Amino acid sequence: MIELFQRAVFEENLALSFFLGMCTYLAVSKRVETALGVGVALILVQAISVPLNHLLHAYLLRAGALGWLGLPDTDLGFMRLITFIGIVAGLVQVLEMLLDRFVPGLYRALGIYLPLLAINCAIIGGSLFMVERQYDLAESAVYGLGTGIGWALAIVTLAAIRERLRYADLPRGLEGLGMAFIVTGLISMAFSAFAGVRVI
Amino acid sequence: MLKSLRMVTDPLLDKNPVTVHILGICSALAVTTSVATALTLSLALMAVLAVSAGIISLIRRHIPSSIRIIVQITIIASLVIVADQLLQAFAYEMSQRLSVFVSLIATNCIVLGRTEAFALHNRPVPSMLDALGNGAGYSLVLLVVAAIRELFGAGTLLGYGVLPLVADGGWYQPMRLMLLAPSAFIILGLLVWAVRSLRPVQQEAREFSPYAPERQVQP
Amino acid sequence: MAEPRSSGPWRRFLARPNTDRVKTVGVALLVAVACGLSVSTAAVLLRPLIEANVAAERQALMSAMLAGLPGIGPILEEAGADAVEQVVVDLDAGAIAGGIDPAGFDQAAIAADPQTSTALSRAEDLAGIGRRENFAQAYMVRRDGELALVVLPVYGNGYQSTIRAYLALEADLATVAAFTVYEQGETPGLGSRITEPAWQAQWAGKSVSRDGEVVIEVVRGTADGPYEVDGISGASVTGYAVTDMLHFWLGPRGFGPWLDRLRMGGA
Repeated sequence: MIELFQRAVFEENLALSFFLGMCTYLAVSKRVETALGVGVALILVQAISVPLNHLLHAYLLRAGALGWLGLPDTDLGFMRLITFIGIVAGLVQVLEMLLDRFVPGLYRALGIYLPLLAINCAIIGGSLFMVERQYDLAESAVYGLGTGIGWALAIVTLAAIRERLRYADLPRGLEGLGMAFIVTGLISMAFSAFAGVRVI
Repeated sequence: MLKSLRMVTDPLLDKNPVTVHILGICSALAVTTSVATALTLSLALMAVLAVSAGIISLIRRHIPSSIRIIVQITIIASLVIVADQLLQAFAYEMSQRLSVFVSLIATNCIVLGRTEAFALHNRPVPSMLDALGNGAGYSLVLLVVAAIRELFGAGTLLGYGVLPLVADGGWYQPMRLMLLAPSAFIILGLLVWAVRSLRPVQQEAREFSPYAPERQVQP
Repeated sequence: MAEPRSSGPWRRFLARPNTDRVKTVGVALLVAVACGLSVSTAAVLLRPLIEANVAAERQALMSAMLAGLPGIGPILEEAGADAVEQVVVDLDAGAIAGGIDPAGFDQAAIAADPQTSTALSRAEDLAGIGRRENFAQAYMVRRDGELALVVLPVYGNGYQSTIRAYLALEADLATVAAFTVYEQGETPGLGSRITEPAWQAQWAGKSVSRDGEVVIEVVRGTADGPYEVDGISGASVTGYAVTDMLHFWLGPRGFGPWLDRLRMGGA
C-alpha cells in the first residue's frame, strides 16, 4: 500500500508523468494560494471519486457485475466513462456550492476552471487507471488520495516557481504562459528521474 | 457575413483556444508525436464540437443553471461514445487508431469550455461556426507541434521519410526527447512566444517592472 | 387582446422558469433518458457488428502471423484452416483439458469468476493481472502428425493498458517463431510501436529460455544475443511489461507446465 501511495505521488504523478489535468494545471498556477486551493479541491474530489467509482464499477458496470440483481450476463462496461464523469461532475457541483458558501475568494479566483474540474483528465484518468489495473477498494482509496496529493504537489510547485518568475526580466512575449510551459517541461523531465525509485 | 467569417478565423490566432484560453492542453501533448494521430484527433474533435455546440444551443433556453454543467457533459460524452461505437462498427480500422482518444475528446476542455462560453448563449448556427473556428484553431496548434516533434524526433512527416536517419545510413540522428512529453511543453512555450510577438496585445500585463536605477549624470 | 392558444402539457412545462424545481428535475431526467437511450441503443444494436469486426481482426492477425512464418504458410495452404488446432489447456495440471470444447470457450468470462480462476500473489503476478484463469486457449499446428508450431495467447498489464499478444513457438518450444501484438492501448507513437511490423519482426529466431529458465527480455537500447530484443526509445515501461508478461506466461504459473509436458512428448 505504501509503495502504491509513493508511486502515485512521485513516479506515476498524474500531472508530470502522465500529463493529465494540464489545462487547469497551467491556468490556475499563477499564485500559490489559488494553486493550493485547487490542489486541495482536487485531493478531495479524487479521494472520494476513485473508491466510489470502484464500487460502481464492481457492482454495476463491469461484465457480470449485476449478478446480485439476477442479471449476470449484462455488461454495462460501455457506460463506464459517462458514469465516472457523472460522479465527478456531481462531486464538483457539491464542491462549487461549498466553496461559494465558505471560501468565496477561492471560488471567484477559480472562475471557469472550477466547472472544468468536472472533466479534469487527472480525475477521470485516475478512475480509468483504477479500472485498468483492477485495484480493490482499499487500493482505490490509497490510489485516489495519492494521485490527488501528487497533482496538488505539482501545481503548488509550479505556482511557487511562477511567482518568482514574475520578477524576472523575460522577453515580453515569453512572460507568463510561455515561460510556464517551458518550466513545466523542465520539471517533468526532472520527474521522469523518479522512474524505478523505491522508498520502501 | 464578415462577422461569421471572423468567427471562424479569430480562433486561429487572436483567440486560439490553446495558446490564449489555455484549453485542450492534455491532448496537445499526448497525440502530437506524429502528424497522422494529431490530424485524426483534430478532425474527430471538430466534428464532436460542432455537433455538441449545435445540440446544446438548440436547447439552451431550457437548461436550468444549477445543472447546466452536468447536462452539457452528458450530451458531449454521449455523442463521443455513440461516435466511437459507430466507428467501431463501420470503420473498424480507423476506430482502432481513434479509440484511445475517445476519452480524450470527451474530457477535452475545449468542448465544454466553448459550449459553456458560447453555445449556451447563442443561436445554433453561430454556435456551430464558433465551434468550427475553435476546432480549426486547435487543429492548427496541434499540427504545428506534431510536425516539429515528428520531423525532429523521427525524421518523418506523415510517415514519409524526410530526414535520412543514421540508422538507415543517413546523417540525421533523431532527437529522442522530441518523442517525450517535455518537448511538447517546450515547443508550446516557444509557440506562445512567437504568437505573442506577432500579436503584442496578448502579452500579459506586468505587475512589476525591472528595477533600473536612474543614471547619474555628472554635472 | 388575442385569445391565448390552448397550450398542451409539454408547452406548459417548457414555459416554466428555469429556476423552477419541477423543471430542473424534469430537464435532468429528460436529458439523462435521451442520452442513456441513444448510447444504449447504439451499443446494443452495434454490438454484433463490433464483435464480428473484433473477431475478424484477431483472426486476420493470427492468419497473417502464421502465413508469414517460413514453413508454416505452405502447411496452411495444403491442409487449410484445419491445420490449426485450437485447444484449451488446464494451466495447473499442465495438460490439455479433455472435457472443455475449444469452440465455445470464453477465456475472458472465466478469468473474473473466482471459481475458475486463481488469485496470484504479488511475487507470482509478474504480468500484473491479479487473477489468472485456470484454463487458457492455445493453438497447435501440426505437419505430418508432428508438432510444428505452438501459438500461445498471452496478456499482461502495460504502461496504461492491457497488452494482448500471440507468441508463436517453434517445435523445440524454445525458439520464437513470431510475436504479434493484437491489442494494446499504450502511448500513441511510443509504447504503441510494439504493433509495428519492424519491431515485431526481430522476435523471429530469438530463444526464450536458457538452461530451463525463461530469460528472454526486451532491453533498453540494442539487443545483444538471442535472448534479447531491442527496446523502443521512450517506451521502457511498455518494454518491461512485455518482458514480464512473457516471463509469467512461459513460467510455472502460466503455460510452463504444459510446455514441459509437450517437450517430453506428452500433450
